Amino acid sequence: MTTRAQQIPAPHARVELLSRQTSIAPGSDLQLGVHFVLDSGWHIYWINPGDSGQPPVFRWRLPEGFSLGEIQWPHPERMQSNPQLADYGYHGEVLLPVVLHVPPGLNNRLLAEIGVNAKWLVCREVCIPEHAQLQLALPLAKTKQDPASARLFAATDRLLPQPLPRRWNASATSAKDELRLVIKADKRITKAMFFPLDPGQIDNPAPQKLQPSVTGLKIILKKSDILLKAISVLHGVLVIPGGPAYRIDAPVRQSIQ
Amino acid sequence: MKKLRQSILRVCVIAVLIASAFAVRVGDPAPGFTAVDSNGRQQRLSDYKGKYVVLEWHNQGCPYTKKHYESGNMQQLQKEWTAKGVVWLSVISSAPGTQGFVTPSQENDYLKSMNAAPTAVLMDPGGSLGHLYAAKTTPHMFIVDPSGTLIYNGAIDDHPTSDQGDIKNSKNYVSAALQEATSGKPVTEAATRPYGCSVKYKD
Repeated sequence: MTTRAQQIPAPHARVELLSRQTSIAPGSDLQLGVHFVLDSGWHIYWINPGDSGQPPVFRWRLPEGFSLGEIQWPHPERMQSNPQLADYGYHGEVLLPVVLHVPPGLNNRLLAEIGVNAKWLVCREVCIPEHAQLQLALPLAKTKQDPASARLFAATDRLLPQPLPRRWNASATSAKDELRLVIKADKRITKAMFFPLDPGQIDNPAPQKLQPSVTGLKIILKKSDILLKAISVLHGVLVIPGGPAYRIDAPVRQSIQ
Repeated sequence: MKKLRQSILRVCVIAVLIASAFAVRVGDPAPGFTAVDSNGRQQRLSDYKGKYVVLEWHNQGCPYTKKHYESGNMQQLQKEWTAKGVVWLSVISSAPGTQGFVTPSQENDYLKSMNAAPTAVLMDPGGSLGHLYAAKTTPHMFIVDPSGTLIYNGAIDDHPTSDQGDIKNSKNYVSAALQEATSGKPVTEAATRPYGCSVKYKD
């Protein structure tokens, strides 16, 4: 039995459904993931695709009683094709993990058949909508890790946004054309990039102005043209090169002009 | 401050520099333009003062544009609203050699074969009109009201996919905005995230 289902060759990508464990234990959680290996120069999109594109969509078929969590999105890269447009997504390869909740009572069943109908947009200069049916059959027994896919899941863990360290915090102020994100940390942060989770809040291609300080970092973000209403929380991911990615939920204060 | 901003804006529009650095905000005057259509005629935004004008960024090769043309959705909108006196201008900002670039006669053949009915198609291979409006995707929709104010900037509808099957369950933002505006109501959803392929600019 394999945790590596058949790889589906699609134009500009190979796609497969993987499990971190080689088998399923009743009443436990395990991690599945859809793995994309993209042709050189081609990309797919993050949950917020930025100025164009579309994130992958998965429609799952699960045995009765099983359920799934949300996709755990690794942090993206910014892809800027020209000064007016910036997208958020992935080149090379990416694993999009989800947690599978296995029900406790699994009488008389030997295999759990899991299927997913995956739809995604793959782009270089042009974009192509693609889809594939992926399958995986897992034996029901005590769980063990599959060394090959476990390595890939472990590498992906390091790309998943984490909560800010306990002594850090994030807040923001809204000025006329700017959102100013302040990261209070226990050290100076000189390099970082903010990725907005909600579309239409910041101007994606505008340069992010960084103002490092001894207590962290301030990032000046240009507001999007289509942001007409005040926002109360700025959600996103902060990526510090060489370090982890952090989940940001910064309350936004309206500044007095 | 306002004067300074206006003069900065003017310089940048002339130089077609990073137009996205400047706002094309709903509620502001829509930037004026002159462009040549697929029949070689000059089209000025100011020619249509007193009418509602829809701008539709277009790329016939883009799967998201195809969604709305192969289903007939876009043509139906064009016919419905031009019949009510609205001006519909499709804009092609694909640079030569990129997806969606067409010659005027290729575009006219396409319009005929698709049974499309825009008032005119503006040929913008240099991308200056696209940059002026900071058009990001195909489709990307704008609506200008009879006074020349921008009243809508964003997506065609609320289903950001390339699946034709989603159209029947979608709220069409352009129709909703035109319906509200033409009956004297404020536009409820006046700015949304446009979705689709990136506009294939020269650089």
